Amino acid sequence: MGETQASEYRGDIHRQQRDLMLRWYQRLEESAHGGPPAVSLMISGNCVELLEAFGAVPLYPEVNALQLAIRHQSLDPILAAEELGYAADNCAYVKADIGALVKGITPTGTELPVPKLVLCNFVGCNTYVKWFEHAAEFQNAPLAMLDVPFLRTAEPRAEDVAYIVCQLKEIVKQLEELTGRRFDYDRFREAVRCSARVEEAWSRIKHLARRTPTPFDAYFDAITLMGPLYVYRGSPEGVEFFELALRELQEKAERGEGIYDQERFRVVMEGPPPYPFFRTFRDMFAAWKATAVASTYSTVGGLWEFGFRHDPDHPFESLAMHMLAHNVTNRNYLQRYDQIRRYVEEWDADAVVIHFVKSCRLFSAGQGDMRGYFTQQLGVPTLYVESDLEDPRYFSEAQIRNRMDAFFEALEHARSTGTLHRGVAAIRHAPGGEIAPAASDRLKILQ
Amino acid sequence: MRIAAGVDVGSTQTKAVIVGEDGGIRMLGYALVDTGANVQRAAENGFLAACRESGVEPEGVGYVVGTGYGRYKITFGNTQMTEISCHARGAHYLFPSTRTVIDMGGQDSKAISVGEHGEVLDFVMNDKCAAGTGRFLANAAEVLGIGLEEIGPLSLRARHPVKITTVCTVFVESDILSYLAQGKKPEDVLGGVHLAIARRTVSLARRVPIEPGITMTGGVSRNTGMVRALEEVLGAKMQVSQQAHFAGALGAGLFAIEKMGESFESGIWRASNATPRG
Ligand code: SF4
Repeated sequence: MGETQASEYRGDIHRQQRDLMLRWYQRLEESAHGGPPAVSLMISGNCVELLEAFGAVPLYPEVNALQLAIRHQSLDPILAAEELGYAADNCAYVKADIGALVKGITPTGTELPVPKLVLCNFVGCNTYVKWFEHAAEFQNAPLAMLDVPFLRTAEPRAEDVAYIVCQLKEIVKQLEELTGRRFDYDRFREAVRCSARVEEAWSRIKHLARRTPTPFDAYFDAITLMGPLYVYRGSPEGVEFFELALRELQEKAERGEGIYDQERFRVVMEGPPPYPFFRTFRDMFAAWKATAVASTYSTVGGLWEFGFRHDPDHPFESLAMHMLAHNVTNRNYLQRYDQIRRYVEEWDADAVVIHFVKSCRLFSAGQGDMRGYFTQQLGVPTLYVESDLEDPRYFSEAQIRNRMDAFFEALEHARSTGTLHRGVAAIRHAPGGEIAPAASDRLKILQ
Repeated sequence: MRIAAGVDVGSTQTKAVIVGEDGGIRMLGYALVDTGANVQRAAENGFLAACRESGVEPEGVGYVVGTGYGRYKITFGNTQMTEISCHARGAHYLFPSTRTVIDMGGQDSKAISVGEHGEVLDFVMNDKCAAGTGRFLANAAEVLGIGLEEIGPLSLRARHPVKITTVCTVFVESDILSYLAQGKKPEDVLGGVHLAIARRTVSLARRVPIEPGITMTGGVSRNTGMVRALEEVLGAKMQVSQQAHFAGALGAGLFAIEKMGESFESGIWRASNATPRG
């Protein structure tokens, strides 16, 4: 194991990202003092475009929670929530958010508004429903449920799309009443058009990671870009930011610049990061000059690298399609297997790393089997480590480092003996010479 | 003869092995000390004791690989490797037919799938919790007031092992006490404790998965009751060496010989660098 190298790329995009996020917190503070209305929203498959049409600011409790964790401020609110009676194994995002609400803690110290509407876009994780019920109760704010059915089939059914479109239109009416503003259809289409441009740039950025070396880390650096992606996607600022990011990273790729002097391992990451130990966790990969070339976590808000874009000609329907089928959380489990497999094959990876999050049911249920699927059925080396995305008490550094080092020691040995394969070659072919079929083909769902 | 060492600083005990190469590779000697609070001192003491055992001068050791949780604290080590790689390598040296290693130590239990040259193909470990590790057994021994060395043999005498339902190292205490209060015999209680851990360990190990050629390593391998319980649950025999406890240090020593190459001029050990005594 060599010296830990600086693994961060610091360019204009990082400065701009920070400015954009600070500006978001400022707008939220303005909202608290009679400025633009704020609406709470969940990240997964979010419909931020609808808010843009009202000139409303999204308030993402998940972003607040992770900001608290990354600033080492999550334990106090978590303990406050536990005092209220939340159990040890409740989602720690929920506890950090509720605890922070109760104690009046905010990540940047700026004031947060009471939202005009707590809009629970229930996409994939059923914890959302209870979380937003509680958040509405604690803030004395109105609650609306946007019920998105799980994706049961490869393509969403027309009834599901119609069901969501109908709900979106009801929410439009509610927002008109609550904000006292009229729904501006042209502005809505414009927001959807901006989203499509952001998605195009973001998708191209993701595809840059297919190069060797990858110019950025598609887990750690992608997370930096995710804040603007969710807050500004439907706005001209978002377009400007992502087109700049694309240019900057493209130039870096053209110069052949990677993250380290030499990229030794390319991995696909599954699961959210341990935010309270973000830096430490990143350094564990840096010690082995290992880079993430793709990650499922960066597709929670939307999965665009496989081609989906919002469509300004069908704005409501494309919002529905996005929520139903084009984000990792609402897709079925075997589709997630296939997504990871595509990353291994098309993004030329050597291995998969799963970070199991103790308090997150949505991401973590079934990850033991997932490890088995990749190691035993596909022959892809897969590491499984456990901690939490928000609660610092679950991170035990020595144990995680130990697993990480052992994993990369084994990969290094395999490479030295010519038995470590990359990309398509990493996927073991079935004994009959056929390539193992897609996992989601196994799923038989009754219509 | 080229001489190298492996030092395995575990959570409870520190093991050191001296390995020599002279045509073939031989284990020259080994030593075991309690880790205690001063990890660095334990590593030195273990290393020096193993040198004495082997009849080699500490300065004559050309390369030292540290392993175990305290590996980064070994000031005289040339490099560090994880105990996962080292146990695989050590077990393979002891039994070349090894394809699966079940290692049970004080805080960790793990299962390693091993290739034909002793390389790690895959591994799984218990999570943060100490259930299913040596610590669980130590707790049970303490509650029963029986020495750690005796619990294994005693558990072998169990006729009607009790059912231990908890896997929690802390709560097992109350389970044990309530069985004793019901008049269950200590051996039956211990039989139950050993089986509970064996089941948990085997279900962990099945995830690698288990291939024939199963070798047990780690401190708990000296517990005959545990070996039997594991074999019962596995439905297969395991290979257990007298030196199984030293497999990690041995593996580290083998890596040390390999890494040393031809470069050895003078050893890395400097008495002047040792932690001040006193
Ligand atoms: S359970 Fe997981 S996906 Fe659901 S809210 Fe919590 S962290 Fe998010």
